[in-house]
Amino acid sequence: MLSLEWKDELTAILSEKQVQIEEHGSHPLGNSGHVTVYPQSEEEISNILRYANTHGKRVCIVGGGTKRGFGGQLECADILLSLANYSGIVEHAAADMTVTVKSGTVFQQLQDYLAEYRQKVALDPVWPQYATIGGVISANDSGPKRLGYGSARDSVIGLRIVYPDGTVIRSGGKVVKNVAGYDMNKLFIGAMGTLGVISEITLKLRPLPKYESLVLLSFPSGNLEEVRSFAVQFLDSMMEPVCFELLSPSLSERLIGQRAYTLAIGFEDVESAVHYQEEFVKRLQPPNTTIRILPQEEAKSFWQTFYTIGPNGAAPDPLGQEIEAAVKIGVVNLDVLHIVRESDLLQESCHVHIEAHGGLGHGLCQVYIKGESESVATAIERLRTAASGLGGYAVVKHLPFSLRKRIDVWGENPSYFFLLDGIKRKIDPNRILNNQRFIGGI
Amino acid sequence: MRKKGIQTNDPHIQALARIVGGEKSILYKKEDLIAYDCDGFTVHRHLPKAVVFPKNTEEVAAIVKYCHEHDLPFLARGAGTGLSGGAIPLNGEVIISLVRMKRLISVDLENRRAVVEPGFVNLKLTNSISDRGYYYAPDPSSQYCCTIGGNVAENAGGAHCLKYGVTTNHILGLEVVLPNGEIIEIGKNGIPDPPGYDLIGLLTGSEGTLGIVTKITVRILKNPEAKQTVLAYFDRVEDASQAVSDIISEGMVPAALEMMDQTAIEGVEAAAFPVGHPKDIEALLLIEVDGISAGISEQIEEILRICRNRNVREVKVAQTEEERARWWANRKTGFGAMGAISPDYLVQDGVIPRSKLPEVLKNIQQISKKYGLRIANIFHAGDGNLHPLVLFDASKPGETEKALAAGSECLQACAAVGGSITGEHGVGIEKKEEMRFIFSDEEIAAQIDIRDVFNPKNLLNAGKLFPTPGRCVEVKREKKQRQSL
Repeated sequence: MLSLEWKDELTAILSEKQVQIEEHGSHPLGNSGHVTVYPQSEEEISNILRYANTHGKRVCIVGGGTKRGFGGQLECADILLSLANYSGIVEHAAADMTVTVKSGTVFQQLQDYLAEYRQKVALDPVWPQYATIGGVISANDSGPKRLGYGSARDSVIGLRIVYPDGTVIRSGGKVVKNVAGYDMNKLFIGAMGTLGVISEITLKLRPLPKYESLVLLSFPSGNLEEVRSFAVQFLDSMMEPVCFELLSPSLSERLIGQRAYTLAIGFEDVESAVHYQEEFVKRLQPPNTTIRILPQEEAKSFWQTFYTIGPNGAAPDPLGQEIEAAVKIGVVNLDVLHIVRESDLLQESCHVHIEAHGGLGHGLCQVYIKGESESVATAIERLRTAASGLGGYAVVKHLPFSLRKRIDVWGENPSYFFLLDGIKRKIDPNRILNNQRFIGGI
Repeated sequence: MRKKGIQTNDPHIQALARIVGGEKSILYKKEDLIAYDCDGFTVHRHLPKAVVFPKNTEEVAAIVKYCHEHDLPFLARGAGTGLSGGAIPLNGEVIISLVRMKRLISVDLENRRAVVEPGFVNLKLTNSISDRGYYYAPDPSSQYCCTIGGNVAENAGGAHCLKYGVTTNHILGLEVVLPNGEIIEIGKNGIPDPPGYDLIGLLTGSEGTLGIVTKITVRILKNPEAKQTVLAYFDRVEDASQAVSDIISEGMVPAALEMMDQTAIEGVEAAAFPVGHPKDIEALLLIEVDGISAGISEQIEEILRICRNRNVREVKVAQTEEERARWWANRKTGFGAMGAISPDYLVQDGVIPRSKLPEVLKNIQQISKKYGLRIANIFHAGDGNLHPLVLFDASKPGETEKALAAGSECLQACAAVGGSITGEHGVGIEKKEEMRFIFSDEEIAAQIDIRDVFNPKNLLNAGKLFPTPGRCVEVKREKKQRQSL
């Protein structure tokens, strides 16, 4: 149990109400802390880290908590550093199409603010109503529209990072093109908070599209060769879809009520160009398939639901015997077909419920599994085997803490692991930040 | 008659020659080395110890291993078109020239990727796949001769990166020889987001100081269905700047949005690809829109309307591909064209938030007056990447120094409005000290920390990127960290 001394020390840095002793430190998803602290300024973040670094305290970082089940071998750190009260826009240079925002800002709030200027951050992460921009960047979350707009590494142009020793380091800048020094931004994107606490993020923005629609092309025959042949033909055309995502039959059923492999092809452009591309899909439409086109608001509402299909670490489902898992799989673009199919087949062989989708233009799949823990574990292993058989990888993005002890979230270490570990040791020699949250126990 | 065999007693030269298979793959005589004493940045010159021409990754690794074991400084070089001195052998390096590693290893159109060796020329990639309607997006002005390996080292940009991004946005995988000779592969099969820190992102743009790239998996794109190019002449530079802002804030993302000022126009019109631009305008804009044909004309109409609103003197749309190509040749050879109106020129590469364009251009005019040197401006206006070209005459005593000082001051003007000292040319030797305009000592030390993870002996391309006394800070920092243990 914690002594009061602990709290006294922290309240010397923060005010009483910013420090909260947790009665029971444990959480089914782990990644909790004996004390939760709520800094409101970069200086406070810096003071907390300096305190932890000098006193050998382990710090776990949390934003909206949606990714609480993502990695981590520690059930409970000493300090849970919550960025929930560290939010807001620092600077929006509308004419330059850049925004600087505090890391605890909720993603959707940022988008809503920018929408008034007909601008957006060109990322489409899961759970935008809960996830913070800091968490999205730290976990490198991306969605189907990555095909058209790229991922976090393409949008982030500058960061302010609080290093474990409390030093504030800036990387990048506020301009959209910049090669001065190493591209240090890249180090912190997807680093799972193991190198520093991201304090501010500068992003380049895109204009909101003038018009959008989503074409849903379903293949009730279940023959993936037909999907493949259509995909190859379509992707060889000059159309410019912002997403080209294959949905598993189970996912398609949930989203559009049709149990069939379905391609979700999104277009965002001026209205005439969007309609032209819809027509193009219709002309190419294979026999025995069905098409539905969701214009504007309908497309938006589809996506709203879409981003909430996976598990949310901030609100774990009370499933009783069943558990939930989310797996990100990377393969060569068209091999997504195999992964989505494998996911579908595993439902029966592993007695689990699986919903999966993957981008045939970028090679990343998301697989959501529900079932009893042993069955889920088996399904994850099989998926990983399938991915590595295709030369790809599988990362488990959400899993209860108990299973994370058994199942390696990150998979095998790469041959160059010593470089990753070397970077960690340079920046966080005392391993205070999100210790064991990342690959190879980093 | 040339004698065969290696004519030197230097055991290192002999050993290196053995690694690359004999005297045909190594240069070591002074007269042969002179061509390698600088790259596209010609102000500093230094002779290398030798230049070796490996044919494959294993040879590169063996050379690096040898240098590592014998404490010989070394660096990699592509076509030598770099503009910041990144390939200049400041410490008498062994230059590892990658020009013989120039194969296009594979093209996979279905999965939109290609694998190339580092010496493969940028434009050749597009040329190899254009018959199927594909291309490689990053298009630095030197693309007809620069290598993709060099592009990775410098994170090269180009005129079309406003919409399509710079090199780092197109690299999916790298094979790298580390400074100790070890070979690693990052981003296997070109699959995005390999688990772990983003080393591809870190290596791209590291100016050859973290490793030597020996194989590159790049993303390739399908050609846009349609493309239209607009040329607009403005009497006032402020109007041209405003037009740029209006286009962006209208929610358009043109493929390119280029600007040239009066001095630059004088240069390009006197050089090899004149277009017939009027010489009495203050600025011209070259704007390209691409994408789905159904949406293009709408955007072009909008651009024409914006230009007219901003008092354009004349604005026209390219009527033929030939006309478009002529406009682009005029622009892309812009730097070299300054040779037609000045014996020497120095290219700078600042970046600013694009809304600060009029302000910074005014400051550059002041700098030009202060030093009594003409400064031409050619730039990627859409992304705020300026290329002030300081015109000077190196044969006049003191004028080179004046030009360098004027260039540096231009960068200071960019940094002062929250910009950067380089958008695509890199820091190299040229802008080492200017790093201080934008980074604190601690931030520079943080970058050096990363270099030390990869390149602890600092034999690979030493003396680049970081201002010289950065080291002291780093020592201070390490001490501080140790104390906190």
